[in-house]
Amino acid sequence: MTLSSPSTSSSSPKSSSPKSSSLMIATVSFEHVSKSFGSNVLFDNLNLKVNPGQFNVILGAPASGKSTLLRLLIGLDKPSSGRIMLRGEDVTGVAAGQRNIGYVPQTFALYPHYSVYDNIAYPLRLNRVPTKEIKPIVEQAAERLSIADLLTKRPDQVSGGQKQRVAIARGIVKNTDIFVLDDPLTGLDFKLREQLFDDLQQMQAELAASFIYTTSDTLEAQMLAQTIYVLDDGHVVETGDFEVVFEQPQHRSTTALLGFPKTNMIAGELAAQHVNCSSFNLTVQLDEDVAEQASSSVDLAVRPQHVVINPNVSAGGAWLMSPATITLIDNLGGEVVVYLETAEGSLLAVLPQAAATNLSEGEVSIGIRPEHITIYDQHTGKRLGQGTSQASSTQTSSQAASLEEVDRG
Amino acid sequence: MAEIRLESLTKRFGDLVAVRDLNITFPSSTVTCLLGPSGCGKTTLMRMIAGLETSTSGKIYFGDTNVTELSPSQRNIGMVFQYPVVYRGMNVYKNVELPLKHDKTVSKQERKERVESVLETLELASSARKRLDQLDNGTLQKVAVAREVARRPRIILFDEPITNVDVAAKTQLKLALKRLSKQHNQTIIYVTHDQTEAMTLADEIALMRDGEIVQRDTPQNLYDNPNDRFGGWFLGNPGMNFVPHEVYKNGGLELTAPLFTKPVHLTGFNIDHKLLVGIRPEWLQVNPTETAGYVPAEVVQRAIVVGGQYLLTLRVSEHTLKAKVPPTTDTTQIRRGDTVWVRCPLEHVSLFGQDGHKLDASFTA
Repeated sequence: MTLSSPSTSSSSPKSSSPKSSSLMIATVSFEHVSKSFGSNVLFDNLNLKVNPGQFNVILGAPASGKSTLLRLLIGLDKPSSGRIMLRGEDVTGVAAGQRNIGYVPQTFALYPHYSVYDNIAYPLRLNRVPTKEIKPIVEQAAERLSIADLLTKRPDQVSGGQKQRVAIARGIVKNTDIFVLDDPLTGLDFKLREQLFDDLQQMQAELAASFIYTTSDTLEAQMLAQTIYVLDDGHVVETGDFEVVFEQPQHRSTTALLGFPKTNMIAGELAAQHVNCSSFNLTVQLDEDVAEQASSSVDLAVRPQHVVINPNVSAGGAWLMSPATITLIDNLGGEVVVYLETAEGSLLAVLPQAAATNLSEGEVSIGIRPEHITIYDQHTGKRLGQGTSQASSTQTSSQAASLEEVDRG
Repeated sequence: MAEIRLESLTKRFGDLVAVRDLNITFPSSTVTCLLGPSGCGKTTLMRMIAGLETSTSGKIYFGDTNVTELSPSQRNIGMVFQYPVVYRGMNVYKNVELPLKHDKTVSKQERKERVESVLETLELASSARKRLDQLDNGTLQKVAVAREVARRPRIILFDEPITNVDVAAKTQLKLALKRLSKQHNQTIIYVTHDQTEAMTLADEIALMRDGEIVQRDTPQNLYDNPNDRFGGWFLGNPGMNFVPHEVYKNGGLELTAPLFTKPVHLTGFNIDHKLLVGIRPEWLQVNPTETAGYVPAEVVQRAIVVGGQYLLTLRVSEHTLKAKVPPTTDTTQIRRGDTVWVRCPLEHVSLFGQDGHKLDASFTA
């Protein structure tokens, strides 16, 4: 297990769920879990402790082992070593059926010969819930997922998005306190996802259960996570309260995976607290726990909202300036994503549509505040420090446009 | 150049009407995106224009020519599909050149110029001699685009051409498509369910629902002034807020609660008791402290979205609203469970009737 886990703070508005004693039972943890398939080591001594009664999101790139992690948890797969603890007990050797976990798999896995109703009712019948109790539970789940009018249909008579809702409904009918959702919104169109974000959050709040949800999509993590776990290279590289992790990522992988549009990464060499790039020099304030390093290959991370096009440098403060060419402007409706070519490579900027009406493909200058640049060690991924305002440039320009500075009044 | 004109075009599959009585002209030398959710009829419409699907009734014209009864090859149009249609046994150059070899009106010299020009535009020049099995899916799709563009048909149809390529290739293809559409003045119909693709690439978007075109407009007009609540909802992430308001007769017509603190006076339409106030999440103004002209709201949820903005889910009386606000000293403090104050600026409001159609009303504070 590696790396800093920033203290779980209570500053997030999403992290206010009550922690009554009944919720504390719904604990889940992986202790020193390793898993190999032949010579392929997927996890090596992985530790992960779920926050009970919260929406927990495991974020990792595709093929980073997220589904395997969940399969280990629900008992469809066994760890090579280590233990899995559920509600305070070691369940490593306990069969899947005995673990009492609600499960929504990535693929719908619906029974084609059953009706939608019977698919949703299946886990209840398996648990020998009396028939007359099943009906209201199924109907309530179907109502919640807007599929009440499909109950008599067979899976092949409903659309892909509806199938996924049936799978979610089937996953949540179980009377339990732990629910596992394996990337359940993947492949759905974005309008449907938008609605399911609200539904899933509401469901989690109402059930006051531990939700464990995997995704490779940063926007899903951003919409849903109270606690986040960043999975990379077989380890949880960072975990904690979502907003704390989002605002202050301590690991390069977190910065690379979290945030839309993607964080810009500029490669550089750190020497005596300075990084020299093609078009600017940056002075770095090293973090307290970072030993003075003679030289090191680093990545400079800067979020697209902090890349300002034609900044008003006379407004004060230091700016790192660079000439750039706009190659494409992607219109999201409320915002635009601007693709830039610079001496530092390709960069992205994002700004409100209302501030972008005069932008077009061509030459501009871009400015970045030094304090908006975070430095990561290229080899370990660890955060080393951030830029400070001692280096600056003196170009001037008008028509500054950024998400923070635009006046929407 | 060729405009595409549809006259009462209809397609039925049994009881299902996939395309319903369309009368529309897609102007020459423009990029029109057919945008809509799955099942809206956009692909069926494109396939009828291509000649891959017969129409149940109605006519299709390219310029002055009625092509309704013509086969796909007689229509002489270019087509690019979701999956690249290319010859795996040939290199990139030969793939692009092949259709031109069959065109006797193109000289050898012109053929060379056209192939080289399109390879340049699509940034394929360095891959010209590569075999296709050495290329990734995104590059193969570029080859498919190059083949169609080099022929210079008057009309090119694209059916979700970048849906199945990775993110980096998507950006490159979008760039290339933008360049191409400006170069050759072809009439382009582009089918997609992705609003960003449509907003970025289109001169005009034809927004479809249930076999009908709900609105055709420039991307920004469609986003800013949807003529139906469907457009307001479908475009934007999340879509427009719609809040029902009662209309009162008080001398003239007016409405107030729940979004306004003072009466808003309406003129120019007939009352139907209730209407919907539509406003996009990014135009709502949110203050953490009580402010004159703002209504109180409870914060149900806060998430961080595009570019680090906050997406707030707010309850105003029994209604739920989404507000997208930039991270500032004020908004950073806002927490779930807090009461905040919200203003709905009239200059960004659209009014819709209960049937969802935009009301042609003017209103003043």
